[in-house]
Amino acid sequence: MRVRLRFFGSLRERLGISSEATVAERAAVKAVWAAVVADHPEVAAVPVRFAVNGEYVKPGHRLHDGDEMACFPPVSGGR
Amino acid sequence: MTFRIVRRRIGQAALLREVRDPAAGAIVTFLGTTRNENAGRRVVRLEYEAFARMAVREMQALAAEAKRRWPLRKVAMVHRIGVVPVRQASVGIAVSAGHRAEAFAACHWLIDRLKEIVPIWKKERFRGGEIWIGLQQGSPPPRRER
Repeated sequence: MRVRLRFFGSLRERLGISSEATVAERAAVKAVWAAVVADHPEVAAVPVRFAVNGEYVKPGHRLHDGDEMACFPPVSGGR
Repeated sequence: MTFRIVRRRIGQAALLREVRDPAAGAIVTFLGTTRNENAGRRVVRLEYEAFARMAVREMQALAAEAKRRWPLRKVAMVHRIGVVPVRQASVGIAVSAGHRAEAFAACHWLIDRLKEIVPIWKKERFRGGEIWIGLQQGSPPPRRER
């Protein structure tokens, strides 16, 4: 099945704004991210959070065909 | 209630107008502004980017949660994206309530939570380099101006 990946912040600079990926049926978000890291080891150390179709999900969340999976580096911070 | 991602200056007067309410005895506003130094670096400007539609929904959800925690009248939250020069505001929050204690508490809670969960990223440009905030790696070492 196909999913759309979106990247933001430092990840966008390294991986581009978005890409399409072919993944296994009901693939987990963390498995898709592992495949991204395998292709781009330079992002392996980024502590990443995920959203699917605009909602935060856990790394074990399973994807469906046509989902949009967003990968977030740490958000803006400040104190 | 208003929740927006904007590319232009945040006006405090407009933010205030959004939350004025005849039953309010207090309005608290917060503006987060670009500071000219950070961790010893001379900051030139900040650049923000957002996952806009999700950021707006997360701000709405935070305001709804704040209204469950405190008896509030109205909430407005605005975040600017793109370049934000020193002195200008990147984020504005306004809260109206019957009394000041809940308005202060809710405004404080809202900005803290916004910084934790709303999908917005900040790149700091300083004299001598740039760095993504929240991700102190793969970036040039901080330099101190002499």
